[in-house]
Amino acid sequence: MIPGKYRSVSGRATNNVNCGLHLVIQTSSLPEKNKVEFKLNKETSSFPGRLLQHDLERNYSSRQGDGRVISPSPRNKSSCISSTTNVTELCGLEMKTAMSSLSAFGDSSTQTPSKSRMRQGCHSAGPNVSGDHINLVSSSMPSFPILQRSSEEKILYSDRLTLERQKLTVCPIIDGEEHLRLLNFQHNFITRIQNISNLQRLIFLDLYDNQIEEISGLSTLRSLRVLLLGKNRIRKISNLENLKNLDVLDLHGNQITKVENVNHLCDLRVLNLARNLLSHVDNLNGLDSLTELNLRHNQITSVRDVDNLPCLQRLFLSFNNISSFENVSCLADSSSLSDITFDGNPIAQESWYKHTILQNMMQLRQLDMKRVTEEERRMASVVAKKEEEKKRESHKQSLLKEKKRLTINNVARKWDLQQNRGANIPTNQDRKDSDSPSQDPCPIDGSTISAFPEETGSLDSGLISALQGLSVTDTHLVEVDGDTLSLYGSGALESLDRNWSVQTAGMVTTVSFSFIEFDEIVQVLPKLKIKFPNSLHLKFKETNLVMLQQFNALAQLRRVDQLTVDPQGNPVVNFTLWKYYVLFRLSHFSMQKINGTEVTQNDMIMAERLFGILAHVASSELPQYRMISILGDTRKKQFQYLLETKGKKPGITSEENNDSKRLTGENTNRATLNYTTRDFYNEKLEEIKEKKKFCKMYIEDLVKEATEINMKNEALQKLWPQMFIELVRDAVIEIRNKNSYMKLCLQQITDQK
Amino acid sequence: MATEKDGNLGSGSRGVGAQKVCLPKDAESGALSPAGLRVSGFNSVCQGTHILFREFSFIQATPHNRASFLRAFWRCFRTVGKNGDLLTMKEYHCLLQLLCPDFPLELTQKAARIVLMDDAMDCLMSFSDFLFAFQIQFYYSEFLESVAAIYQDLLSGKNPNTVIVPTSSSGQHRQRPALGEASMLEGVEASLFYQCLENLCDRHKYSCPPPALVKEVLSNVQRLTFYGFLVALSKHHGINQALGALPDKGDLMHDPAMDEELERLLVQVPGLVNSVSASPEASCLPSRTPPRVASPWRPLHHSRKVDAESDGSTEETDESET
Repeated sequence: MIPGKYRSVSGRATNNVNCGLHLVIQTSSLPEKNKVEFKLNKETSSFPGRLLQHDLERNYSSRQGDGRVISPSPRNKSSCISSTTNVTELCGLEMKTAMSSLSAFGDSSTQTPSKSRMRQGCHSAGPNVSGDHINLVSSSMPSFPILQRSSEEKILYSDRLTLERQKLTVCPIIDGEEHLRLLNFQHNFITRIQNISNLQRLIFLDLYDNQIEEISGLSTLRSLRVLLLGKNRIRKISNLENLKNLDVLDLHGNQITKVENVNHLCDLRVLNLARNLLSHVDNLNGLDSLTELNLRHNQITSVRDVDNLPCLQRLFLSFNNISSFENVSCLADSSSLSDITFDGNPIAQESWYKHTILQNMMQLRQLDMKRVTEEERRMASVVAKKEEEKKRESHKQSLLKEKKRLTINNVARKWDLQQNRGANIPTNQDRKDSDSPSQDPCPIDGSTISAFPEETGSLDSGLISALQGLSVTDTHLVEVDGDTLSLYGSGALESLDRNWSVQTAGMVTTVSFSFIEFDEIVQVLPKLKIKFPNSLHLKFKETNLVMLQQFNALAQLRRVDQLTVDPQGNPVVNFTLWKYYVLFRLSHFSMQKINGTEVTQNDMIMAERLFGILAHVASSELPQYRMISILGDTRKKQFQYLLETKGKKPGITSEENNDSKRLTGENTNRATLNYTTRDFYNEKLEEIKEKKKFCKMYIEDLVKEATEINMKNEALQKLWPQMFIELVRDAVIEIRNKNSYMKLCLQQITDQK
Repeated sequence: MATEKDGNLGSGSRGVGAQKVCLPKDAESGALSPAGLRVSGFNSVCQGTHILFREFSFIQATPHNRASFLRAFWRCFRTVGKNGDLLTMKEYHCLLQLLCPDFPLELTQKAARIVLMDDAMDCLMSFSDFLFAFQIQFYYSEFLESVAAIYQDLLSGKNPNTVIVPTSSSGQHRQRPALGEASMLEGVEASLFYQCLENLCDRHKYSCPPPALVKEVLSNVQRLTFYGFLVALSKHHGINQALGALPDKGDLMHDPAMDEELERLLVQVPGLVNSVSASPEASCLPSRTPPRVASPWRPLHHSRKVDAESDGSTEETDESET
């Protein structure tokens, strides 16, 4: 277990190994020289990294005997400095380790103070453990004890002084020790750093476990490289301005709430802020050499600025309050970070935790003390890719949704314009008030919509794969969502001409029309019937349904189970009778629901009571010639059948007759109630006019002809007697000479033979 | 009357003639020989069913056609009135359009104005109120336009007898409210008005109500307004009888033959259980037990008919103008 490169000459120092001391203090091979050298370079050590890192808050794990503590990792490149901190921290918490850490400085034994002679000159000084090595003498200034060492001591350990567990409440005045490089005040009760400003060669100052409330009195210690202030009462990081060479700063176990006044520490390599009261971490720029940052056991929710630390390799964020990766997203930008811990944070509980971290921090080698394997990395990237895709998809979806919203708004606005233009048509007056929601000023105009063209291309491809046919343009919108086909704007009706896949067409059971004139819808109903044979539910919103007779048009469909007519833009819904009329006119569909309410038997009876006579009158009293012209060819057979049965059983409409009527679908007596759109109706009127005109002309021609014939006839009648007389006279003259006439006749007969 | 009859027969045959053109292909089906068709056509003219679903120009062409249309409307939608529903002008218009797809909204509006006195066109009207007002407005529409012009002239103090029959109805609506405010004494003097009307009836080429009845209406009052006159006309049962299209107000909901037919139809309602046929009375609707309140004004005009079967109309708009 002894690290091979451990070069401490002092045999006693070997004890330290199990503490994982990385700070190599190379006392020269000759202890007499008392030369202490700090090797504070990164590459020094090949020490058991596991041990070190892991031991940042070491006490616990070592007590718990965590196996990892001991196993050294040859790959570890952690710098020796870090180990120092670790060790020091460790010391504070456990006596034994503390002792060993001290031994790192050359003369350690478990009985640290034994070699220093202290003369107790102050009441505040505790019992002098070793008695005669160190003398604390009351100085002329009564409050400060004065420390004096025997010259022998001085010679032996000229550069270090350990005043551990001396129950000091103040720093003693240290006289004649200007060469001191290492000063240890661990485990005292010091409240203020004093009386050391003359120790200008001091490199190592350990004030672990005291009661210091403010960092002060250090401004002259320009060569200080290691400052250990763990387990004190410091509230604020301050007064470090002159410590430009600081290499290790340990402030763990204080009450610091904010990272500040450290930006000038460009040589700092280790900063320990564990067990403080930090909630946000930032203001880290300038720490250009920082390789290790310990932030465990704070209340951190967000970390920033880490990407400004070019050398940071290890970051410990365990046991904080980080709940999302966004709050620490700067970590992803750090290229040097290789080791990070998040355990004990809310974020570590999330299912996406590991792969998110790994995906965002490709450079990571260790996460929560565990090596990141290739497999994990691959998994993470796969998951991340998937997530990315999902995100893109949802982005696409939301984009689509937005676009859809825009288009619908646009269609609605156009519709409103159209309606207002025709507002002098009194039937539209109702709409204005009912319309207000759709008239919301929407700032979208053509330009905004056309701002999307790039997306549209990519959207369409993604769409088809998503089994959601959707074509979006400015003036209309067609959407298939599950079993619902939604059409917005009259242009959307053209989509019925498209080739819909059998599957899609078969799935559609609900067809919804918005912002389309009902008369236009009527014209496509036959197409609808063919293309979407399963449509059962029709929805109308803003379709200008104003008359009951318009519902007649729906009778031509194959099936309608449900009808929803939104009051918005459909004044007909305000009528008390509309529902009954629908039920009556579409009774052959056996409708289930109208506007969401179940159709009851009472409704059916009511409908029949209200309008039954109309149907009866329409069918039985309409003259036959009218009936035929109204019904057209398709219904003729049906009608004839009706006529025949009526003829056979006059007066009684038998049950079978009713049955057969029902079987044929739509009741014939209702068929006469049909709807023709206004344009078509006008056309029809025109046609009738034309026909009348033609008839008139035809008759007039006939009359003219007849008159002429008659006139000729009359003329003939007048001429005839005269002509007759002439004829008779000619005949008489011819037969006057009987013989010659006979001869002539005989001659003719013979000639013929 | 005889001339009118001739006219409408002519109109009927013209209609048949027009249809005949497209008939030849139907001729082979025995029931529909041209002669048979012609007979049925003439029959329908006699019965007044020839106007069903015809265009408006045809329906209003002759007085007979108009009367037939009124009767058809009453017969088809009597049940709506019987049910007690109060409807808006627009809804009545829709019902009219069920029988005549291009029925103009203007006529319906005018009829509603008679009932509602022009104040709130979206108010609900009872079926009978609307029907009688509509009858006057539709049957005598040309006459009423002339009357409106005369009334205007009287209001403005012109000599009525030189009045030329106007054709524009829109101008009349524009002026009327303003003039109504202007005159302190509302309306015109009845006797003077009657003289003008009598004069008008003499030379009017369209049908007009019998002068005797008009006199009767006008003799009851000193002064009256134009709409007061129309309301009085529409509620006068004599005029209704003279017109002959609708039954008396008391009998308005009564049409036993049709009720019988309706019962028969109800039995056929798809998916219906027999309970319907068990309903005791044809006229009693299941969903409503009509609160038959005798209207306050009806006894005045129809004292002989205290109808147990009123339409339940609310007489909110009926001020007896007499």
